[in-house]
Amino acid sequence: MAAVPVSVITGFLGSGKTTLLASLLRDPALARTAVIVNELGAVGLDHLLVEASDEEIVALDGGCVCCTVRGDLVRTAGDLLARRAVGAGAAFERIVIETTGLADPAPILQALMTDPVLADALCLESVIATVDAAAGAATLDAHPESVKQAALADRIVVTKTDLSDPAANGLAERLRALNPAAPQLTAVHGALDASRLFGGGLYDPGLYDPRLYEVRAHGHATVTTFCLRRGAPLRAVTLTLFLQVLAEHCGAGLLRLKGLVDVLESPGRPAVIHGVQHVFHPPAWLEAWPDGDHSTRIVVITLGLDARWMEDLLDALDDEVAALQER
Amino acid sequence: MIPVMQYDPAWHARILRVFSCALRIWGVPGTVSRDPDDPDGFVVAPNTGPAMRVRHKAPAGWTVTLRDPAPGAQAPLGRHVGLPGLLRRLRAELAPDAPAGRLVIGAQPLLGRDLGGR
Repeated sequence: MAAVPVSVITGFLGSGKTTLLASLLRDPALARTAVIVNELGAVGLDHLLVEASDEEIVALDGGCVCCTVRGDLVRTAGDLLARRAVGAGAAFERIVIETTGLADPAPILQALMTDPVLADALCLESVIATVDAAAGAATLDAHPESVKQAALADRIVVTKTDLSDPAANGLAERLRALNPAAPQLTAVHGALDASRLFGGGLYDPGLYDPRLYEVRAHGHATVTTFCLRRGAPLRAVTLTLFLQVLAEHCGAGLLRLKGLVDVLESPGRPAVIHGVQHVFHPPAWLEAWPDGDHSTRIVVITLGLDARWMEDLLDALDDEVAALQER
Repeated sequence: MIPVMQYDPAWHARILRVFSCALRIWGVPGTVSRDPDDPDGFVVAPNTGPAMRVRHKAPAGWTVTLRDPAPGAQAPLGRHVGLPGLLRRLRAELAPDAPAGRLVIGAQPLLGRDLGGR
């Protein structure tokens, strides 16, 4: 049975996550979707705003999904899958998780990536962040959670564009500096074609276009995003050691890393790597390069880490590995 | 015997930056400089506490010693095959309370089986 794609919708309080989700669920393309919503506080309210539908909607109450109820999230997703397997409940083909406005998406992604029960049944499809066109800039200034949500996203949905123009008020440029690779989509009252939010993936070569990362005149004070590029193949050991050092020393400063890597030992078959902080998927190997550019391209989203340091570290490790292998 | 420099200036500059930035990541104020007594060595000097001498031994391998803790003596701290072990040692000595992570490879395949992965 094919793995069920799971997407996470995040975004700060009032940024329109539920409105977007409610609108998306009306799209026939998402007709067979199970939804897990999470509210902060004793009484869950957000799910009441999601119109009654045929989809399976499960509410997690009693805490933030990134903190106290992470175990509940894993259990809930597991229960959904178990019911589906025996033909009980809705026969969904996708799971969407809506986080609270204060949630850090990183632990949620890590939970999905590492839980052994869910591992074979789910595949992480997309992280979507909603940003309020009118209040987004002020929110980014005041709340680090919102910065992290936008920085981690695969796609950013700017909402309430009927109230304010994100291009005119500088929000669009700011989000681009924060997360150059994430397409910025707009939604008024949640209206957005679902096909623009789901699908695609980490093997999309457009994600790794180095030109995206060249001009960052208005970069955020703490988040830096850059693309490490190598023309020569990397040894597998170098890549492993590089990720090991990053995981060991950078901790929460490494928000997300995704890359297409030309591995010396696997000519013509690039590795796709993806990690959230210190947790990585096992690398996947493509049958062929997805475009004409066969260079290694690793996109790194960090909290205050230095691109030059990563470049130097990668080179230094490769020097050492080469020296040891030639010995 | 006079030590002979094995590496070019680009290598020295690169390693210097790796160490300097690592200090910043660990939150350790200090400096990193070339070792005047060893053409392929470095001195890592925190603002407080003893400095360390980091020496490279070609083709790969590092030794760490406390720099002159007493006249005529150097306290060896460790030998390491590569930079990962060396950085771990430096962090343990200079910033024992700095958060240390661990690479976790999750169980979930990166690409769904229907998305072209294997």
